[in-house]
Amino acid sequence: MSDHQIQNPTKFEADIVSAYRARANPNRMHDAAFARFCAGGMPGRRDEGWRWSDIGGVLRNEDGAINAPALNTVAPSVFSGLNPIEFRIINGEIMMPPQSEMENAGGVAWTILDNLGTIPELDANPVVSLNVAMTDKALGVEVRAPKAESGAAMAQPRPILIRHINEAAGSCFVQCMLRVGEGASATFIETFEGAGAVLGSCLNQIVMHKNSNAQRYVVNQQGREGVTHAVCGVRVEKDCSYTQTSLSTGSKLSRHETIVHYHGENARAQLDSVAILSDSAHADFTTNVLHKKPGCTTRQLHRSVGADKASSVFQGKFEVERVAQKTDSQMTANALLLSERAQANHKPELEIYADDVECAHGSTSGALDQDQLFYLRQRGLSEREARQLLIKAFASNVIERVSDDSIRDVLSGRIDQWLENV
Amino acid sequence: MLKIENLHAGIDGTEILKGLSLEVPAGEVHAIMGPNGSGKSTLSYTIAGRDSYEASAGGVTLDGEDLLALDPDERAARGVFLSFQHPLEIPGVQTMTFIRTAMNAQRRARGEDEISAGDFIRQIREQAKIVGLDEATLKRPFNVGFSGGEKKRMEMLQMAMLEPRFAIMDETDSGLDIDALKMVGDVVNALRDGARGFLVITHYQRLLDYIKPDHVHVLAGGKIVQSGGPELAAELEKSGYEKFIEAA
Repeated sequence: MSDHQIQNPTKFEADIVSAYRARANPNRMHDAAFARFCAGGMPGRRDEGWRWSDIGGVLRNEDGAINAPALNTVAPSVFSGLNPIEFRIINGEIMMPPQSEMENAGGVAWTILDNLGTIPELDANPVVSLNVAMTDKALGVEVRAPKAESGAAMAQPRPILIRHINEAAGSCFVQCMLRVGEGASATFIETFEGAGAVLGSCLNQIVMHKNSNAQRYVVNQQGREGVTHAVCGVRVEKDCSYTQTSLSTGSKLSRHETIVHYHGENARAQLDSVAILSDSAHADFTTNVLHKKPGCTTRQLHRSVGADKASSVFQGKFEVERVAQKTDSQMTANALLLSERAQANHKPELEIYADDVECAHGSTSGALDQDQLFYLRQRGLSEREARQLLIKAFASNVIERVSDDSIRDVLSGRIDQWLENV
Repeated sequence: MLKIENLHAGIDGTEILKGLSLEVPAGEVHAIMGPNGSGKSTLSYTIAGRDSYEASAGGVTLDGEDLLALDPDERAARGVFLSFQHPLEIPGVQTMTFIRTAMNAQRRARGEDEISAGDFIRQIREQAKIVGLDEATLKRPFNVGFSGGEKKRMEMLQMAMLEPRFAIMDETDSGLDIDALKMVGDVVNALRDGARGFLVITHYQRLLDYIKPDHVHVLAGGKIVQSGGPELAAELEKSGYEKFIEAA
């Protein structure tokens, strides 16, 4: 199609256009999505919402061609102790668990679906449009409430582990659709691993049916060369509870976006994130919570630790529509900067059209407290030990909100490992 | 034990201690009393090694070793303990974890074995009872939300656990009621085994009813201006510091 062109494309964008022209069987949805992408190309510092995460600039001279090599060996996950049902997405290729897993999967079922299309709220996101244009299939996972059998204890569904393992000299794209049935309780763990791809793009949708409960944990532990853009749209029905905890130990650039959409009353969401970054790592947590029904509660705590030249971004937005009375939503972002050259950019936003709501946001940034450091050293801790203890305490504030002991231990262990290396 | 000779020290280039000399032999308790601004806290911070408190002349030694050349944690490992006038809160760090980390850091620095979990728990429970902190406090984040009195008890708990060779108590009595003062006396007296030394900094004689000092010194204008026995504290309580301020 001749109209698939970007004005003054970068090398990366030109590669992407060639890749799209070469792709098999694009349909109208793909074409429409690619046209949206082409209108502005990759976003960057000139675009509101991206000015601190210049993904277009970072990728400018990179190789954008689709390149999805298979990997021969994959190490066990840090979460394998939880006995999860494990899905591997290797450079965008979805690997299903062995058939035998189906038999003891409890209320979990999975399949391959067609492209999800897009979430209307995300039409304006160029990287999402690119993902939609480039993707044909999606991983579909559904968690149903266990049936109570007489006399038997109700077994909880096993956690679902989705490992995005990217080690590619090009771009890779994937989509996941996760459904949580009425009254069900689901745990989703997503890890972003491997050395990283030029661009790893992931689009997820979570659909929660009423009175369901979902925890999602996101761990980005990708290597220094990786660029990741992962978006998760969460549709939350009446009386649902959604809890998300994200931890990023950094890669060249990662951006995790979460859009929570309250479609029913009395729902609750908690969106927590921690970034602990060194060298020149960059981690961006961008969220938007759309309060469209009354009586919903949102809690959000973001903390970032930046050493060396690392930079973190937190952009949190609460939109409260006129009908969404009795909304109770709070957002807090705190940054700890360990060096003069580390950066933290926070943009908390409240957009409120209802008059009977409680909404608040707070944002702080600072260095380690010299008084606390002296106190700890006076008690015998070396400077390194004292700094580690204070950094751990700062970051752990988020991790302590995780209710599952084993998951909390894994996340805490990731922080310890990071501390050993700074 | 602790020997301070002609110490000149201050903060950000402002000299506060102006030639202070003092010797506390092992086994003794010395009290330092003095008006506000006389340099009492500067003295304790300089001995403990706080950044930005610089000695420009003179020296401080512990059993002949130059303390001023050591980092704060090295001084702690040699047995120097400072009970802070304003103890800090450390959010996110469980009290027990912190105290155990401190004990083990000091032990490691001295080449000793770490304390076992069992011994630690036994010991801290026992000491918590003595200082009047209930067990639930030990599981809370360190000092977070504690009252002034509880924070001072926490200082005494750490002192009892760390068993320092030389303890500086910077206005430990401020904000404490009579029962708590007695507790402070109990903790100090339990540690008085003839080998340790104590420097008790206070405004009032009251604490010295519970910790009997061997010597009392008056610090004014950055120097020791008078030394004497316990009767000096009683005299100061009556007549105040005025004549020393004028003299300094």
